[in-house]
Amino acid sequence: MKRWPAAVLLVLVLAFLIRPGLFAPLLAPLAPGGGPVIYDRANLLSLTLAHLGLVAGAMVPASLVAVALGVFVQRPAGAAFLPLSRSLTGFGQTFPPVAVLALTVPVLGFGTWPTLLALFLYGLLPVFENTVAALQGLPPSVVEAARGMGLTPRQRLWQVELPLARPLILDGIRTASVISLSTATIGSVVAARGLGEVIIAGLTSQNLAFVAQGGLLVAALAILLAQAFALVGDGASRNRATPRA
Amino acid sequence: MIGLNHLSKHYGDTKAVDDVSLTIDKGSVVAIVGTSGSGKSTLLRLVNRLIEPTSGHVTLDGQDTRALPAFELRRRIGYVIQDHGLFPHWTVARNIATVPRLLGWSKARIEARVEELLTLLSLDPAAIGPRFPHQLSGGQMQRVGVARALAAEPELLLMDEPFGALDPVLRGKAQADLRAIQRTLGTTILLVTHDMAEAIALSDRIAVMRAGRVEQFAPPAEILARPATDFVRALVGEGERAFRYLSLTPVGSLAEAGAAEGAPLPADATAAEALNALIWRGTESLALEGGGRVTRSALLRAGHP
Repeated sequence: MKRWPAAVLLVLVLAFLIRPGLFAPLLAPLAPGGGPVIYDRANLLSLTLAHLGLVAGAMVPASLVAVALGVFVQRPAGAAFLPLSRSLTGFGQTFPPVAVLALTVPVLGFGTWPTLLALFLYGLLPVFENTVAALQGLPPSVVEAARGMGLTPRQRLWQVELPLARPLILDGIRTASVISLSTATIGSVVAARGLGEVIIAGLTSQNLAFVAQGGLLVAALAILLAQAFALVGDGASRNRATPRA
Repeated sequence: MIGLNHLSKHYGDTKAVDDVSLTIDKGSVVAIVGTSGSGKSTLLRLVNRLIEPTSGHVTLDGQDTRALPAFELRRRIGYVIQDHGLFPHWTVARNIATVPRLLGWSKARIEARVEELLTLLSLDPAAIGPRFPHQLSGGQMQRVGVARALAAEPELLLMDEPFGALDPVLRGKAQADLRAIQRTLGTTILLVTHDMAEAIALSDRIAVMRAGRVEQFAPPAEILARPATDFVRALVGEGERAFRYLSLTPVGSLAEAGAAEGAPLPADATAAEALNALIWRGTESLALEGGGRVTRSALLRAGHP
């Protein structure tokens, strides 16, 4: 895959975050007459970092929990929990994040925590399902050989099963992270710092320039994040005939 | 010596393996032959406890294998499967080093062993060692699978249809190589196959299985000459019986003094190969390398007990 479009996009995003003023002429036609063109109530770079922080803060624990759960339900001791785990992660995915916010604000208060929880729940399903599919799709002869060679269950997991399942698990984390990146914008309705703030400010003040810069920034970050995962995935699967389930 | 003592594996009412007892001498090759569903693969997997028996047990040099944790037992027993099961994310050298690493061998010892095995299996260590399995041909993968199973000098080598995925030409070569390696290393081998010709070519004794039971356990010549049951008779294939019997005899043992026309045959060719050459050339006798000849009547006499 060609890398230069992503590189160009990265340069544009960085330029916009460091010197938003340079892009003012492009966005000016969208701003209401005389109104501000570039969001000025907070630094865009710090909002972006806070936004990425929200995604990482939700996706790192969501991935760890989902992979661990995916591994657990493949073990003899955990097999009985597969349907239950499917229902729970599926519920996390179908339950609207806005509703999670509405339900948790009374308990957790305004700010970061309800958003993290909503994103965490939302991110479980893709990672869990991919982990299950990856482990179930391992070539039976390889699994059999690992047992026959005398690897203990733990050695099989760390040395054979997880390395072979890694590309598909990474796919799941990538999908969940990209979704999480765009979903994180709703955190701003409960006052979590992030790029949603720019979009909501644009909506309330009817400033289309704000909406456009917030929305485009999130979209560009999502593309760059997906590309970054592709880069990691290529590194991991080079020289390997890893079966994809 | 490996002893299978009254091994049974029942799944509900189905008796996959039903009270099987076999003794395998050290350094010998035993083939388990049967149709699919006869329980032969299950029997093999009971030996390294990939399947735990319902009853009965296995002894390795007199030691009851139930005394060991299953993973430790398996590190002492080589295991080769039809689809080779090489680890796709490891190089050939790393694959072969699997069991030595589990056993904590030193790096230098592992490297020396990997090189020794690759050479033994006529694979160039410098060229093949660093490759990944998907960069190998089917025949090379099969050989790497054998090398991996032999890596930690196992007391016993289990092979489940090891040549089933190879084409007939490669299979013949792989069988000959295995026989040569087995003679060199003196490894004890228990091999599962559905191919009676393969069993006759490779083994010292054959166990014929049907519906979970061993119908006959005897040397190939005995199986061919005196099949114990109709099932064994059918499996031997009466249509090819004489040729299979001939394939057990080296032509050198039928030699007599004298000369014959035509290109001489190697003395270690089988009598079956000699008869084939004789029919095709339309002659009465064949010259042998190193002198002497074999006659048509000698070959025909050797074709039955």
